[in-house]
Amino acid sequence: MQTSLPEAFTATGEGRRAEAILRSCVHCGFCNATCPTYQLLGDELDGPRGRIYLIKDMLEQERVDPVAVQHLDRCLTCRSCETTCPSGVAYGELVEIGRNYQEARQPRGLIERLQRRWLLSVVPYPRVFARWAALGRLAGPFLPRRLRKQLPARPVRRPPPEEVANPVRIVLLLDGCAQRLSTPEVNDSLVELLAALGIRTLRVPEAGCCGALALHLGAASQARTAMASVLDSLSAHLEEVDAVISTASGCGVTLKDYGRLLADERESAAQAAAFADKVMDVGELLASLDARWRRALPVERIAVHVPCTLQHGQRRGDLPAKLLEQAGYSLVPVADGHLCCGSAGSYAVLQPELAERLGENKVAALTNGEPELIVTANVGCQVHLGALTKVPVRHWIELLAPEPG
Amino acid sequence: MTDRSDALTEAVQNARTAGQRVLIMGSGSKRFLTRADTDPGDRILSTEEHTGIEDYRKDELVVTVRSGTPLRTLRQVLGREGQMLAFEPPEFQGLGTVGGAVAAGLPGPGRPWRGSVRDSVLGVEMINGYGERLVFGGQVMKNVAGFDVSRLQSGAFGIFGVLLRVSLKVIPVPQTERSCVLALDREAAHQWMIRMSALPVPITAACWLDGQLHVRLSGAEPAVVRAARHVGGEQSADDGFWTALRDQTLPFFRSIGVACRYVPPAAALLDTDELIDWNGARRWTQRSPDQVPAGYRRFGPGYARDRCRDAGGNRAVAEYQHRLKQAFDPDSLFNAELTDADVAA
Amino acid sequence: MSEPRQQPGTGQPDLEERGAARTRKRALKRLQSLLPEHCLLTRPAALKPYETDGLTAIRERPWVVALPETEAMLAGVIQICREEGIAVVPRGAGTGLSGGARPLADGVLLGLSKLDRILEIDLSNRAARVQPGVRNLAISEAVAEHGLYYAPDPSSQIACSIGGNVAENSGGVHCLKYGLTVHNILGLTVLTFAGDRLEIGGPGNDPECLDLLALYCGSEGLLGVVTEVWVRLLPVPPERRVLLGAFPAVAGAADAVAAIIRSGLVPAGLEMMDRLAVQAAEAFVHAGYPSDAEAVLLCELDGVAEEVAADARLVERVFRDFGASAVQTAETTEEQARLWLGRKAAFPAVGRLAPDYYCMDGTIPRARLAEVLARVSVLSERYGLAVANVFHAGDGNLHPLILYDANRPGELEQAEAFGAEILDLCVAVGGTVTGEHGVGVEKLGPMCGQFSEAELNQFFRLKAAFDPRGLLNPGKAIPTLTRCAEVGGMHVHGGRLPFPNLERF
Repeated sequence: MQTSLPEAFTATGEGRRAEAILRSCVHCGFCNATCPTYQLLGDELDGPRGRIYLIKDMLEQERVDPVAVQHLDRCLTCRSCETTCPSGVAYGELVEIGRNYQEARQPRGLIERLQRRWLLSVVPYPRVFARWAALGRLAGPFLPRRLRKQLPARPVRRPPPEEVANPVRIVLLLDGCAQRLSTPEVNDSLVELLAALGIRTLRVPEAGCCGALALHLGAASQARTAMASVLDSLSAHLEEVDAVISTASGCGVTLKDYGRLLADERESAAQAAAFADKVMDVGELLASLDARWRRALPVERIAVHVPCTLQHGQRRGDLPAKLLEQAGYSLVPVADGHLCCGSAGSYAVLQPELAERLGENKVAALTNGEPELIVTANVGCQVHLGALTKVPVRHWIELLAPEPG
Repeated sequence: MTDRSDALTEAVQNARTAGQRVLIMGSGSKRFLTRADTDPGDRILSTEEHTGIEDYRKDELVVTVRSGTPLRTLRQVLGREGQMLAFEPPEFQGLGTVGGAVAAGLPGPGRPWRGSVRDSVLGVEMINGYGERLVFGGQVMKNVAGFDVSRLQSGAFGIFGVLLRVSLKVIPVPQTERSCVLALDREAAHQWMIRMSALPVPITAACWLDGQLHVRLSGAEPAVVRAARHVGGEQSADDGFWTALRDQTLPFFRSIGVACRYVPPAAALLDTDELIDWNGARRWTQRSPDQVPAGYRRFGPGYARDRCRDAGGNRAVAEYQHRLKQAFDPDSLFNAELTDADVAA
Repeated sequence: MSEPRQQPGTGQPDLEERGAARTRKRALKRLQSLLPEHCLLTRPAALKPYETDGLTAIRERPWVVALPETEAMLAGVIQICREEGIAVVPRGAGTGLSGGARPLADGVLLGLSKLDRILEIDLSNRAARVQPGVRNLAISEAVAEHGLYYAPDPSSQIACSIGGNVAENSGGVHCLKYGLTVHNILGLTVLTFAGDRLEIGGPGNDPECLDLLALYCGSEGLLGVVTEVWVRLLPVPPERRVLLGAFPAVAGAADAVAAIIRSGLVPAGLEMMDRLAVQAAEAFVHAGYPSDAEAVLLCELDGVAEEVAADARLVERVFRDFGASAVQTAETTEEQARLWLGRKAAFPAVGRLAPDYYCMDGTIPRARLAEVLARVSVLSERYGLAVANVFHAGDGNLHPLILYDANRPGELEQAEAFGAEILDLCVAVGGTVTGEHGVGVEKLGPMCGQFSEAELNQFFRLKAAFDPRGLLNPGKAIPTLTRCAEVGGMHVHGGRLPFPNLERF
């Protein structure tokens, strides 16, 4: 597509990237077809092609219009469009540039500012989040139903298994931020699973949020701080581990991108790239093992919801179904598997109406085949869907057990 | 093999100058559908001598024919090359021209599978009511340049002008063809049609009459053989029934008169549906002209008029048909008996 | 015969401008009271992304965008615009490649994307009734569980809408055997600009009127706005097989196409891509397209197993006879889907080779394929612009994609001039300037070469029968005579000029 970005902007690294991405778009519109918000709203401005145009116009005019803010806010960053795009447009990266541009120039209203500041100062910090959650549980009866259901329950922790002697591999497992409170049992059970396979798991509680939340919200500097802090707390362990694992695909996709995200940081760029190379989704680790799987839970029919960050972000959406089938579960067909459930990081909080509509559609698609259980691969989706359906929602690795021998 | 384009154009121009209305006619084999009960006495403009196949590109599956060319001649030429017209136009009384076939827009027994007349029309050259010679469409399968005036001519019974040439898409004659006859009552036959239409079976015609369901299968030999086994019934390679159905030489059509209705194929049967054609989409009944049941159209005088002037009773559409006629033929030179209120029906 | 005016009003500019401003103000008020806020876009920033469709070289920001959610709202918009004398440009999914949905600065852009419901699936009549904004592919997806599908599959089928398909009479990679949109729809409901609601046809086979259904197909939104479409559904064939032939020369592939058709076989699809197009497609889908071939033919066969097997043997033999260096067969659904995905995504995938492309859509007699391609390649050298060729070889529909860079001054103009030469060539060999993308605004010039003054006037009278004031999608599809005089396009009617040896009819 033709562009005429101001020279001052194209002189920057971000500007050059923006121009290259914009020019790779040929405006064919295929992306709208798989965009969750376009499918709901039917407005060009709520599809990737329109947003690309809004960003282009904003960068060219050097003016942030409220229209552009509103419609970029509505983007889930699910990156379904990237999977669909034949021209290879790096949409996620462009939206990130667009959001950073907006946040740096356009003051939001007080309420929006407070909401975003609250999110950024609570969710990434487990201790703070825990306090708010406790408070929330107390205030439960006064909260709206939807919010109440999303509150993390009081965590139930399992004692860690004995440390694996003579491990075949050592992996570093990131506990993330929100996940630690909402679904700590996922990582606990992974540690047990890996131990049974002779893999030692290293956990570093001081490693906090990966920065994904801040990135989503266009808070560039806070994201950088978070990333630097993760690198800092893990640097001592990096040498000794074979891989860095996350069970939240939303974190995984960001961690894998550290190389690009920190490429401009003179000091940490190389370290970030080396780190990113070691990051694996838990599915990739399990699939790489020479293990045979059996069912860990006495259920038959399950529905798989593949998070966008796994299928569109990491392009490994095939893994959960593959391993679950190997374990002997029968997977019910799920229509529109490419569509986002509406959780999308902070989206469920900032765009509650759209998130709920997407969630309801997703639950309808997932439960159509009457599964006993729904599984997914990201904490956000798990909590969001869990609040919308009576069918239990679990992380898919909780359903796997290694066949002995 | 004469090109009478210039003479026909001149005739139209003269008629226009003289304010003389004309009736366009080929062999006259379908005159029984267009005739007003009282003859308006218009001058006949005959295309019968405007004959000849101008261009036949069998590799392109396209033939361009002058409108007066007998259907029979075209069928023979195509047949020699192993090709045919997909829409199987009728030859009433053994007659019929290519121009007439396109203008009448009457497809044969294969309609639901092989398409209508217009589905085979790729282009036309015509003379409009201004006496201008116009070319629309072309000789290629895909063409969206300008409005699709050429397909509009199919079924318009010449009210927009005189067809000079038409380019038609042709298809290869199927390798094998087989007919099966099953003894089934009407309801069972209809249900059979509905059921089969959802399955990938190479049926190219299905018709019920007098307790018998006739089914035609066409295509590659192994596919037809297998399908014939699946369909069952009494089998033959003879296509006599289908030709007789197409040309209306079956005894059924030689009665006091017939009327038909076009319906969704699965539409409920009426007692009056005595012959079911097109897999259920066209139903025939034997009735004298004054006793045509509601919902049916008499297949005789008035048939074309009903379509061209009254849009089968759809008033909103009829209004636009009238405006379209004006756009092509403002002085109502052509076939006025089909469109004008002042010509008695 | 005077030609109907395309734009309303000529007169004293000042007075008229003030009058027009007053009218627009009043119309806006009425539109605002008719439509909910999210269905009427008026802010310049919100209008900007609507300034173009799939052809980005042509842009104009609309006055407002209306996105009705119901047929009643749609009728209301048309009524207001009719009464206020404001032009309306209908738009489906905005994937068109001829600028057919290019807005007007003083007109309403009428987006149909919110009308996206499948209203009825009638299994016993194998038909479905859908709103115009329903995506082409969504229909097949909705009926897949019943073993049925909707046959026309334009390459943009994932995104394009059925209303747009009707407006353009879209084809696709399977129309060789299954036909175009006109062959696969059974009925239409249309709102004319005069406010009449026309119901034409339905799940039965034949409308009891003149063939307005065929007239509406490909009318590019000039004769009315489609509000409902009855589509025909077909049973999914029991067996499908896709053969891929890699050819060392384009001419060999072109001759193979003619030979297959001559053999009496009607493949479900027969497509060609040249080296550049193959490279682009392969980069997107990784389907194992041969990267060293000058041309690749894709041939899909469908039917019952025995038939498909026999046909496949024949096609393979023809491929080899005409010099194919390799023939692959995709038998599994996944392999086939991947090959087709590459083909269908070939246009936008070409975006990987250059920032912009200009897509042509001429159709020619199949027999002239090799000759026309050779000529295009000569032109490509002369203009210094690369061409990726993607086309429906089976029905002679060419899609040369001229690669250019819109950021380089003058290059778009060069691409356009190149494109115009290709289209003239198509008409000269007995073809047409557009096979399936429509004329839009892009091919108005080339239309002057294909139609005479009398024919263009007939088109105008036909348009006026439906829309006497010319307010529905004005300035599209049919060039004015003034325009034809300006471009100096020479009408080549009858093939007498400027290629006397070529026959058209």
